[in-house]
Amino acid sequence: MFKENIKLALKAMMGNKLRTLLSLLGIVIGVGSVITILTLGESATKSITQSIVESGLETISLFSTSNDNKSIQREFNEELPGKILENVEGVSTVLATNSTRANLRNGQVSESYSVMGVPANYAEVLDYTAAEGTFFTGKDDGDTRQVVVLGTEAAEALFPDGDAIGSYVSIFRNQAKSYRVVGVMEEKAASFNLQFDSSVYIPYNTYIQRMEKVEIVGSYLIRTETGSDVLEVTDFLETYLDKLVGEGNYRVFSPSTIAEMATSVTGTLSLVLAAIAAISLLVGGIGIMNIMLVSVAERTKEIGIRKALGAPPRVIRGQFITEAVTLTLIGGIIGVIFGTGVSLLVTNMLGWGLFPQYLSYLLAVGFSMLVGIFFGWYPAMKASKLDPIEALNYE
Amino acid sequence: MEQNSSLSVADTVIRLDEIRRYYVMGENVVKALDGVSLEIKRGEYTAIMGPSGSGKSTMMHLIGCLDTPTEGKISIDYEDVSDLNETELAFIRNEKVGFVFQQFNLLSRISSLENVMTPLLYAGVPVKLRKEMAAAALERVGLADRMKHRPNELSGGQRQRVAVARALVNDPSIILADEPTGALDTKTGDQILELFSELQTEGRTVIIVTHDDETGRHCARQIRLRDGKLEGDRNV
Repeated sequence: MFKENIKLALKAMMGNKLRTLLSLLGIVIGVGSVITILTLGESATKSITQSIVESGLETISLFSTSNDNKSIQREFNEELPGKILENVEGVSTVLATNSTRANLRNGQVSESYSVMGVPANYAEVLDYTAAEGTFFTGKDDGDTRQVVVLGTEAAEALFPDGDAIGSYVSIFRNQAKSYRVVGVMEEKAASFNLQFDSSVYIPYNTYIQRMEKVEIVGSYLIRTETGSDVLEVTDFLETYLDKLVGEGNYRVFSPSTIAEMATSVTGTLSLVLAAIAAISLLVGGIGIMNIMLVSVAERTKEIGIRKALGAPPRVIRGQFITEAVTLTLIGGIIGVIFGTGVSLLVTNMLGWGLFPQYLSYLLAVGFSMLVGIFFGWYPAMKASKLDPIEALNYE
Repeated sequence: MEQNSSLSVADTVIRLDEIRRYYVMGENVVKALDGVSLEIKRGEYTAIMGPSGSGKSTMMHLIGCLDTPTEGKISIDYEDVSDLNETELAFIRNEKVGFVFQQFNLLSRISSLENVMTPLLYAGVPVKLRKEMAAAALERVGLADRMKHRPNELSGGQRQRVAVARALVNDPSIILADEPTGALDTKTGDQILELFSELQTEGRTVIIVTHDDETGRHCARQIRLRDGKLEGDRNV
């Protein structure tokens, strides 16, 4: 019986191909969007994670988020790097840094930049090289000398003629202090919260003595050992810090947190798109109900004949539900193909890898069949309840 | 053997007992059938005749188990069918009644063979057997070479033959034909009536519902209805 019903359903559909196609459109678009959303969401997350890991950016940054608890704040001191090195597996270097925004002036030119107090090995650790002069030395740091290294943007703005090395700039923080420029850095693309080109760098000790008298370290830059998995090291680090200062009192920025952010962004986006998909499935379902009602009306005579030949109501109902489900199943399959096609196109354009979500295929097709059962039920009931004599006499 | 065949002739297939079928139309009650009693024996060739409005269609619907009476009792093969629900009626129709309609009422999207197979589908016959039985029925009505054709590829007479094959494929207790020659020319119509005669000779119970005296004269027994009542019952 089931096989006959499917054959009948296909015959009915083939009898009016354009109408079938149009009535399927809602389902196709609904399922297509679901597949596109899920596939693109996954592909985006995986591709972003992959590109972060592949770019060799193995730096994790860490800072305190505790405002009121002094004893916790005091843990973010100059001893913490040593503790992290000792207790967290896979860490090669920990840099303590502080930063603030300040105005820099050379003659008539005055601009605001991020002034960072960093250790002398900062440039080396971050593969950040000098274009002119050199990064300051450990001796500069130890002697709290007033020297500064400029990021490209700062150098170009303050010294348009390119005579920066050996010149002096004034840095304003309560009062102006004069710093000698020892180096200008190469361009370097920003990576998460480090804006290399629009920053200037002074020795860490100079910073805490002359720029800002702070007791805690603003942020730490943690470099992982080559070959270690940065995502795994982040996990170790978080476990250690949870014990040391407690969850929620610090913030870690790493490729994995960025991947998580990307996921949450695509997650929000997915939610919106999923709502659209749900609406189009609903509209598609109503479309199916409409076409099934038309089909029942058109085939009143056929229903009458079948009843006269001995088809009980249950069988008539089954025939029309099967037809609705066959319709939505075909719509679902077309939708999956369509959605995968769109995903392939978009991922190709953006240079992402395609990560097909096979489970979502099953879910989408299964759900579209449910739509068929749900919206096919009423027309099928209507067909099964037709009076056989009236149906037979229907012209 | 002798006794057996005489027994089967005396065997009642249909029994109507004080049948009334009323329709409520607004404030009026239409008495389509108003107290009709009769019996039809197995193997009889009967015409139910009368002008339009006489109640013969209502009678056909009741005998065909498409409808139930307001009052009275109908039995088919000694089984009371007056109070059955839709599903039970469908089962009786499938098992005991073979319909032939004026407008053939074939399913247009499927072949003659598939049309003839349809009652067997609802009877739950496996597909292989369905094909064999339907092919045999089509052969019986002389359409062995038209099995793959769809109804619209057949002439009126051929279509009615397919309908007859469909009516007899389930080996029903009665073959019930409603104006079977109404849509056919005289010659083709006569051939269909000839086919019914043959089926009757083979031992089948055939009932033809018609307003046409010419058609009625083919049948051994003629039952006449007028205004919902039995007007005459003549056995030639």
